[in-house]
Amino acid sequence: MTAVQLKGVRKDFGNFTAISNIDLDIKSGELVALLGPSGCGKTTTLRMIAGLEVPSAGQICFDGEDVSEVAVQKRNVGMVFQRYALFPHMTVEKNVMFGLKVRGIDKADIDKRLTEILDVVQLQDFRHRFPAQLSGGQMQRVAIARTLITNPSVLMMDEPLANLDTKLRGEMRRFIRELQQRLGITTIFVTHDQIEAMELADRVAVIFDGNLAQYDAPDALYKRPNSIEIADFMGATNVFEASISGKTATAVFGALTLQDTVPDGQAQLMLRGEAIDLHLDEITDEPNILQGKITAREFFGANITYSVECGGETIQVIEQSRRMVEIDQPVWLTIPPERIWIIQDNP
Amino acid sequence: MARKTSSVALNERLGPYQKLYLLLVAGFILGPFIPLIIQSFAFRWAWPDLLPGTWWLEQREKSILPLAWDYVISPYSQVWEATLNTIYIGCVVTVICLIICLPAARVLARERFKGKPAFEFFLSMPLIVPEAAIGIALLMIFIHIGLAGSYTGIIIVHLIPTIPYMIRMLTAVYQGLGRDFEEQAMILGASRWQILRLVTLPMLLPGVVAGALFTFLVSTNIFLLTFFMGQGKIVTLPTLLFSKISGGTLDASAAGITLVVTVPGIILLLITERFIKEEAFGKGFGN
Repeated sequence: MTAVQLKGVRKDFGNFTAISNIDLDIKSGELVALLGPSGCGKTTTLRMIAGLEVPSAGQICFDGEDVSEVAVQKRNVGMVFQRYALFPHMTVEKNVMFGLKVRGIDKADIDKRLTEILDVVQLQDFRHRFPAQLSGGQMQRVAIARTLITNPSVLMMDEPLANLDTKLRGEMRRFIRELQQRLGITTIFVTHDQIEAMELADRVAVIFDGNLAQYDAPDALYKRPNSIEIADFMGATNVFEASISGKTATAVFGALTLQDTVPDGQAQLMLRGEAIDLHLDEITDEPNILQGKITAREFFGANITYSVECGGETIQVIEQSRRMVEIDQPVWLTIPPERIWIIQDNP
Repeated sequence: MARKTSSVALNERLGPYQKLYLLLVAGFILGPFIPLIIQSFAFRWAWPDLLPGTWWLEQREKSILPLAWDYVISPYSQVWEATLNTIYIGCVVTVICLIICLPAARVLARERFKGKPAFEFFLSMPLIVPEAAIGIALLMIFIHIGLAGSYTGIIIVHLIPTIPYMIRMLTAVYQGLGRDFEEQAMILGASRWQILRLVTLPMLLPGVVAGALFTFLVSTNIFLLTFFMGQGKIVTLPTLLFSKISGGTLDASAAGITLVVTVPGIILLLITERFIKEEAFGKGFGN
């Protein structure tokens, strides 16, 4: 398949700099998400890889070959737009065949590949329908089939799950993942939704203000963000000021023991709500015990979020809803040392 | 079938006043045609008679056809020549107008540039400035460069009042057409010409058809500019009609010509009505 590399890519629109400098290495067959808030430049990055925009500086390489100046039509990439961009005046069949037809491939070959690809996306029965007669999930599958039939070296998707409802979302997620693994096609998608990025991608590239902020596997990004902005964007709620000395981090609510030594000084301490255990009886034989009182409770069905007041700070604890703990109940929290993450300020 | 049931339902749904208004509207639209039709079948219709004193039917032994129609279909009337000229000029004007306006509308709908509102205002200027002013000035120039009295000259002047309409209509449809579709086609490997032919034009079809229809109708109805540029050498239906009725009398033959003049427009309207409904909306946009 194809490895994609961005080397010092920059994009200016007049006086406005959309991308200041991005280096990105996407391995062959990898599924990568470009994640960031709207206007951060992630869509521009995707469009540059697709060839819809030409970078102002830097190189885009496919398998080491510079393709920055190669026209869209010749670049052999695939793109599934957010709203699918199915041609409304063509049937499913005609939509899917489009890429082969414009290449002047002969009829018999087109028919063969059409049947194959419609089997893959399970749309055999819908081949004579018009896009307006399809559901959101079906439209997306048509868009994917239309792209895959041309055997693109890189598949790109713009917010692939954004327009689907919760039930379809899970179905499409599994579908895209399975298809991508079966075909081993290098896939890049853009999203502003951290959940979408985490549930689909092998690696996530977080882009803030036209710069690559962190490029890591989803669990690393979630548990070990390298800046406060990323922690915030990944939905971290328990972030506290702490002073570090040796293996101890001291925050307002008390001292916590860390697993690894980090440089001394002021830092941010991040705790993930689901990594904290909530006990109703006093605990003494574990490291990192905090005593507190429940001040609020939010019920989300499978999970419950408790707000626990410990020494003047509120810590959010997420627990599976096997039990309901009453408000004002005194509780003991234990935090495993390996689940405490320190974000050092690097000026 | 569907049309029949809906008209029955409409008849029951409407109150007496609503029916009256509908009748009045129909009267205003169709009313002017009634004297024309009567006149074209009259033999003699003199003031102050409300209806013709003598009908053609009573004088059949004198003329086989009604006087008006006998004249209209005879070569002396130039009706056939004028109709062909009108249709020819209308078609050429429509095609050229589309070629000019499609790219212009694309830019106006999608790009932002300095002075765009002023530019859009100037596009409408030909509709504001009186035709006579444009016509006289252009005639001077055209006589000088030898375009007066030629088809080219007439076609060029017909573009002046039609371009503003066409640009407006195409800009509106282009605004409704996202860039996504063309970019998608590009990524799928389509060339510019394939994109235009297979994606853009079919998707713009309702607007293109409406714009083309309007351009054709405006072109076939332009009198003054055609009259100036045609120099009497090129006759179209409006100039022919003017020469018939400029004397101030509406005789049978003038009535006949007037009726003929309305025919292309009516046929075109019927065709496009069906076309727009069935092709573009019925099929393309589903449901």
